[in-house]
Amino acid sequence: MKRTPLFLLLVIFLILSGCAHREIKLSTQEKFLAAAPRSILIVPVVNNSVDITAADYMLSTLAIPLAERGYYVFPINAVKRVLEDDGLADSSLVHSAPTSKLANLFGADVVLYVIVEQWDAKYAVLTTTTTVAIYYQIRDGKTDDVLWENRVKMVYQPDSGGGGGGGLGGLAAQLVVKAVVAAMEKASPNYMPLARKANANALFHYPGTGIPPGPYANVEKKN
Amino acid sequence: MRSTTKYLFILFLLVPLIGCGAHGRYQWSGYDTKMYKHYKNPVEKEEFVQGLKEIIDESEPAGKVPPGIYAEYGYVMFEEGNNQQAIVYYEKEANKWPESRTFMNKLIAMANNRTKIQKENARPAAIPEVDAGKDVPKPTAEVSK
Repeated sequence: MKRTPLFLLLVIFLILSGCAHREIKLSTQEKFLAAAPRSILIVPVVNNSVDITAADYMLSTLAIPLAERGYYVFPINAVKRVLEDDGLADSSLVHSAPTSKLANLFGADVVLYVIVEQWDAKYAVLTTTTTVAIYYQIRDGKTDDVLWENRVKMVYQPDSGGGGGGGLGGLAAQLVVKAVVAAMEKASPNYMPLARKANANALFHYPGTGIPPGPYANVEKKN
Repeated sequence: MRSTTKYLFILFLLVPLIGCGAHGRYQWSGYDTKMYKHYKNPVEKEEFVQGLKEIIDESEPAGKVPPGIYAEYGYVMFEEGNNQQAIVYYEKEANKWPESRTFMNKLIAMANNRTKIQKENARPAAIPEVDAGKDVPKPTAEVSK
């Protein structure tokens, strides 16, 4: 009996804070629900960061979360190649083309546009801060209307684990470990987990800032 | 104190399950990692092709083939010049995911068109009778598995 209120509190806490919600305009969300898309065309990513590899890295992370959300996701590599063959190798050209034209070409209900705004690692002696900032937008394949947008920024600072013994010796050892971890992160910043987290944060908070589950979302429950 | 800790622990276990994103609808077998490795090092094309095949082989028995994977594999087959295999996988994609039909039909037309051009180019050198026999491909024969 005593446990019930605590459990209830936890459930409420979970609902309230499990995923931080931000309000988005209802009208946009209503449009999304009215459009009830089944398929999402993911077009090549526009890169506004200083890292030239960011766009392709980001692109490769997008299919999984959207498919798991319950949508048909077009084959991202095949789409990219076909667009390149059509003279649209520059992703900013793709992004500026009318959505309805693109959607028509592939038979897609909606198109997802992603822009990498920040993708870098800043080295500061004892720690390296890796930052990924992404802008997402879904537009209607018939009306060109914006059905959803979101902006997510993820920051990662590697934790060397700490622990260590007390005393000055221990502290010195910790500092060395931290410096090594920071240097390693700098040498090869681990963007992929951050990008995946950004996607999850952007898409899965629903109701809220994410997107509604797609038509295949219910199929899983039977398994 | 102890029961609070227990609840907190359970809470942490529940958050990924309830709060954010259900995974496991499909078996991806590292699709994203394979993709970015391919973009990072396009010369290792064969590794990417094999990687896509792996995803199909691993996900098919459980019926967890992710959307787009048959088509991705079909497209790399097309790039490698294997028009017939390309079409087989485009068809698989379209049959499993009706949403892909428009795009798959376009890709199938591309592959058929190339087969036609290749045949026309090859015709003067080929013996007409042998060529005619091969004119009717049996796309299902190679694939059935």
